[in-house]
Amino acid sequence: MQTVLSVDGLTKDFGRIRAVNNLALEVKAGQVFGMLGPNGSGKTTTLGMLMGVVNPSGGLFTWFGETQTNQVRKKIGAVLEHPIFYPYLSGQKNLELNALIKQCPTDNIPNVLELVELSARKDHKYKTYSLGMKQRLAIASALLNDPTVLILDEPTNGLDPMGIAEIREIIKKIAANGKTIILASHLLDEVQKVCTHFAILQRGNLIHTGPVDEVGKGTETVEVNAEVDNLNEILLDFSGTSSITKESGFYRVSMRDGFRGKDLNRFLFDRNVVATHLVTKKKTLEQQFLDILSSNPQK
Amino acid sequence: MLHLLKIELKKMADYRTFWVVCGLYFLTIGFSTASGMEFLKWLASFIDGFGENLNIDRIPLYHFPDVWLNLVWWSGLFKVLLGIMVVISITNEFSYRTIRQNIIDGLSRWEFIGSKILLNVLLSMMSVVLIFLIALVTGFIYTPDIQWKYVFTDIEFFLAYFLEIFEYLSFALLLGILVRRSGLTIILLLLSSMLELIIKVNVDDYFPNAIPFFPLESITNLVPLPFYRYAFMEIQDYVKISSVAISVSWTLIFNYLAYLRLKKSDI
Repeated sequence: MQTVLSVDGLTKDFGRIRAVNNLALEVKAGQVFGMLGPNGSGKTTTLGMLMGVVNPSGGLFTWFGETQTNQVRKKIGAVLEHPIFYPYLSGQKNLELNALIKQCPTDNIPNVLELVELSARKDHKYKTYSLGMKQRLAIASALLNDPTVLILDEPTNGLDPMGIAEIREIIKKIAANGKTIILASHLLDEVQKVCTHFAILQRGNLIHTGPVDEVGKGTETVEVNAEVDNLNEILLDFSGTSSITKESGFYRVSMRDGFRGKDLNRFLFDRNVVATHLVTKKKTLEQQFLDILSSNPQK
Repeated sequence: MLHLLKIELKKMADYRTFWVVCGLYFLTIGFSTASGMEFLKWLASFIDGFGENLNIDRIPLYHFPDVWLNLVWWSGLFKVLLGIMVVISITNEFSYRTIRQNIIDGLSRWEFIGSKILLNVLLSMMSVVLIFLIALVTGFIYTPDIQWKYVFTDIEFFLAYFLEIFEYLSFALLLGILVRRSGLTIILLLLSSMLELIIKVNVDDYFPNAIPFFPLESITNLVPLPFYRYAFMEIQDYVKISSVAISVSWTLIFNYLAYLRLKKSDI
């Protein structure tokens, strides 16, 4: 697969604070790449460097193998942080201006406006738009030049649930066309739903990168309840138990490697205990994320 | 080049402030330069003896070749309006953060500053063309007997006039990029001549030769005050090469510093 983006040793210092530290990443064509991290972990600064608005303190990056990036940027659709437009221009005029800057034809404007459902308001000034409309116009502008790479920074920020679902659909649709998407978010659910690969940043350090599919493999968690008094002790006897926490209405059992929910079920049955509640939970990205963060204590 | 200018004009085309300020500027320089004789007649109409002691038709305000320098000098006084417009246009990019999106969308920093500089060139040229046309028409109206050898004498003042406006706008653009806030930048722009004056007065005691090299001084030195010629016989009725050289240098420095500042900053 073609490498779209290659980052090596990218570093940014703001005075004495190191916002991004020695970052190395690769994004291949067709990936939907999620960048995760708490607020202030360096996601936006990284994207800012990749898009030429923040000067790196050190390190290199290439888009499609090129280091000179201003022509390449025209082929990328990007929205970083908040939507940015000229408030005194209408949605339509703002997009026309973007087309002029990106040197792409304006024929696509009606299509992208239709896609984000702004056609009816296209001649109104941008400053009269609601936050959701601004966000949607930003996505329209990013799609304007039919980009091969799309960069979205918190694209669903401030949207209502319907808007969030719509944007998610749009992202999936674009990804299905074989486009590469880089998505920065702190909404883990969102990343798990749309991304194929993800990276986790913490305080400017890359602490994990890999495919989303692998999340959920590995150890399992099982929720158990039964109508016996000493369930806690019985569960502790099970050789596959790694730890137990009591939740409202059930016990949550973390399993050792190689043990599955059915093993626990058989064990209970052999002890003449019948479970009233037994659910095998795969690890969600959220749990994995928290695990990874907690296994990397803050320096 | 044309592409960059188009981008800048697209930004301005629907910006009402731009039209109001530029409209005011061009109307002011247009009407005030064209109506000098009417103004004198109006004065004569109520000041006793004004018309008798002094035949206003003999005041050579609009006679070739005086008309060129007179109108160029007068309209140069209003360049501050254009300067304020340039400041608004650049500081808007910072306060709306649209400069960031422009770069993200694929302009290089050089192209961004280039589009601003091109608008400055355009505004300067429009001033030149407007004043040239007004001077040409009023010259033909008011000059009693037209001698062709005088019609296009002293026309080099238009080069000086262009430089005067363009250097000033370059200065305004640099201030805007350094300060980034519109209000503060406009105040600094308006105060800058006074600040320079304070420095000049102090420097004058020790290095009088250094005075023409001051940036704002170099702008005013391009086009000399013309009205001395009606009081004294001696006036400078040519553009000094040294003034042009100093102005061109400052213009290049202003624009290059603006680029350098933009290149080094995170936006």
